[in-house]
Amino acid sequence: MIDLDFLATTVRALLGGLPLTLSLTAGSVALGGVLAALAAWGRLSGLAPSDWLARLYIFVFRGTPLLVQIFLIYYGLGQFRPALQAWGLWSFFREPYWCALLALALNTGAYTAEIFRGAVLSVPHGALVAGRACGMPRLLLFRRVTLPLAARQALPAYGNEVISVVKATSLASTITLMEVTGIAQKLIAQSFRALEVFVCAGAFYLALTFVIIGALRAVEAWLSPDLRPRPVARPA
Amino acid sequence: MLAPSPTRPEAVAVRDLHKHFGRLEVLRGISLSAREGEVVAILGSSGSGKSTLLRCINLLEVPEGGEVVVGDEAVAWRARRGGRVPADRAQVDRIRSRVGMVFQSFNLWSHRTVLENVIEAPVHVQGRKKAECVAEAEALLAKVGIADKRDHYPAHLSGGQQQRAAIARALAMHPRVLLFDEPTSALDPERVAEVLRVMRALAEEGRTMLVVTHEMAFARDVAHRVVFLHEGRIEEDGPSEQVFSAPRSERFRQFLARGE
Amino acid sequence: MSAFTLLGFGPGGWGGALLLAALTTLALSLCGFLVGAVLGGLAAAAKLSGAAPLRLAADGYTTLLRGVPDLLVIYLLYFGGSAALGQVAGLFGATGFIGVPAFGVGVAALGIISGAYQAEVFRGAYLALDRGQVEAARAVGMHRGLILRRVVAPLVARTALPGLGNVWQILLKDSALVSVTGLVELLRQAQVGAGSTRQPFTFYLAAAALYLAITSLSTWGFSRAEAHARRGAP
Repeated sequence: MIDLDFLATTVRALLGGLPLTLSLTAGSVALGGVLAALAAWGRLSGLAPSDWLARLYIFVFRGTPLLVQIFLIYYGLGQFRPALQAWGLWSFFREPYWCALLALALNTGAYTAEIFRGAVLSVPHGALVAGRACGMPRLLLFRRVTLPLAARQALPAYGNEVISVVKATSLASTITLMEVTGIAQKLIAQSFRALEVFVCAGAFYLALTFVIIGALRAVEAWLSPDLRPRPVARPA
Repeated sequence: MLAPSPTRPEAVAVRDLHKHFGRLEVLRGISLSAREGEVVAILGSSGSGKSTLLRCINLLEVPEGGEVVVGDEAVAWRARRGGRVPADRAQVDRIRSRVGMVFQSFNLWSHRTVLENVIEAPVHVQGRKKAECVAEAEALLAKVGIADKRDHYPAHLSGGQQQRAAIARALAMHPRVLLFDEPTSALDPERVAEVLRVMRALAEEGRTMLVVTHEMAFARDVAHRVVFLHEGRIEEDGPSEQVFSAPRSERFRQFLARGE
Repeated sequence: MSAFTLLGFGPGGWGGALLLAALTTLALSLCGFLVGAVLGGLAAAAKLSGAAPLRLAADGYTTLLRGVPDLLVIYLLYFGGSAALGQVAGLFGATGFIGVPAFGVGVAALGIISGAYQAEVFRGAYLALDRGQVEAARAVGMHRGLILRRVVAPLVARTALPGLGNVWQILLKDSALVSVTGLVELLRQAQVGAGSTRQPFTFYLAAAALYLAITSLSTWGFSRAEAHARRGAP
């Protein structure tokens, strides 16, 4: 039997966690994007020190579980509390929100860096030569040729990465943040009605996933003018 | 080439074969047989149904009507969903193991070496001893001229070598009939001759062969009989020297004029 | 106490406990991966089958599991499993909270999650299969089981291997989430050590290093396996 009252209460409670889920997602995708761009640049720069630094960053953050990274930042850095206080950083690392955001951003940044790098490397050599041949300076070439072509190439993988960030924000619940999964866990522990709560919370995440997929399709269409239907010649 | 005596028994026969894909009728009542040792070339433009005919003989396609007989065994059918299927899967596998098939695109198993390709079915379908199969496979590979390639993977061979390996694979089953489905159509022109040479040697050994081909010289010089298919029907059927010198069917005459 | 004695193997050292916990992580991941292979294989077969209800169910399974946080799945199985067990026990007159075995919950959760990913890998590999090679197997009279075993399975496995490597890496890292059930795998052991010595950074760093070692070894292992499987590829 379906208990509609319980479902309604559950949905209302979970709705309270949505802003936190969304803000963690948006914040870490934005910050992670910056980190990824820096790391991808480091890998592609041809400078040995920045290449190795970027490699190390990507290797460590892709090779270890996100939950360990979160604990390392939130609980681990507590070990250095006096030093952090002296530097004025403690008010940042004391907050679970900022720690979760930082860990999520560092984590997704490492994965996204490889997506960016692959996309830049996929730009056909001929397109770059053609740009150089008509005298484009390097920055202009990057902005007008490399970036649009790479962006389109990166989009599907980048979209999957954003979706996995949405899911990853659920780990923030392990350091006391009450986003959707945190609230769901609390409700399950209180009511012991795991399935109903799971279905409601799952629906939230699936809805978010579908919204992102939809947005992605729109961006993809916008970035691929060559795949649109041909304009029909109007009769004179 | 000298045709086998008409008193030799039939090695393979189809009677009134019908096959359609959806609304498209591909075979509209084909009757054809080959005696032991006979080489039959099957000609026809693309879409005439000649490949489908071969694929019906070893039941890679299920014909909706007509009979298929290999040796003295006729395929048994049972009705299903308004159509029919072979009644006995074991019989299908048995018949297939007696009919060797050589495909246009070779279809060698890419994860096995040439030798492993050749011994695969004798060992696993016929349950023969591996050592015996290996010795025989080596002899077959020598016969088709690629003994030195036994431990190579198919992807590392030329098309002609792959097709010769595929012929060795078919021979390893001791088939009563060999079916060739456009065996040289996927090859570079300079590789065609090496495969045709092997096929000619098999014909001279007295093998029973049905060969779908576009190679007119092979049909004229090697085949005993030529069958011409047009839109799912047999338009011409006769000894090769006769059909080429005095074709009875107007369509076959046109086909020859276009093709040569 | 220095980090070395703390993480060492002497008296008061946590090295042995951490290594043992790393083995638990490996065992957990391995079992989860195998369960996932069975579920993924079934789901891929369902997706490829002609039967619409089967296809729909499999699509639902993979979409749901790839869209919902893994942690939520673990909570569902952990708490839901206890509730279900409690009800069964209630029939026999028992009362109160009944804990489900955490290792079993972990294996089930990781299996269900990775099965959804493995289904896509298997499906893609099957669709990439060269039909001609299957047809050649039919033409020499192989029966269905033999074709599956001797031709389809090896070819699909070869194509699937890189994808399976990715799934394994994801699963290894996901296994840390099972620590929320109290199962003493690597992360949980690090938590215990961090709590009792008040040196959280040291312990989480040690755990991170061990995870890094396991994932690096896996990368190496899979690339060896891929090189072996690629023999004969152009």
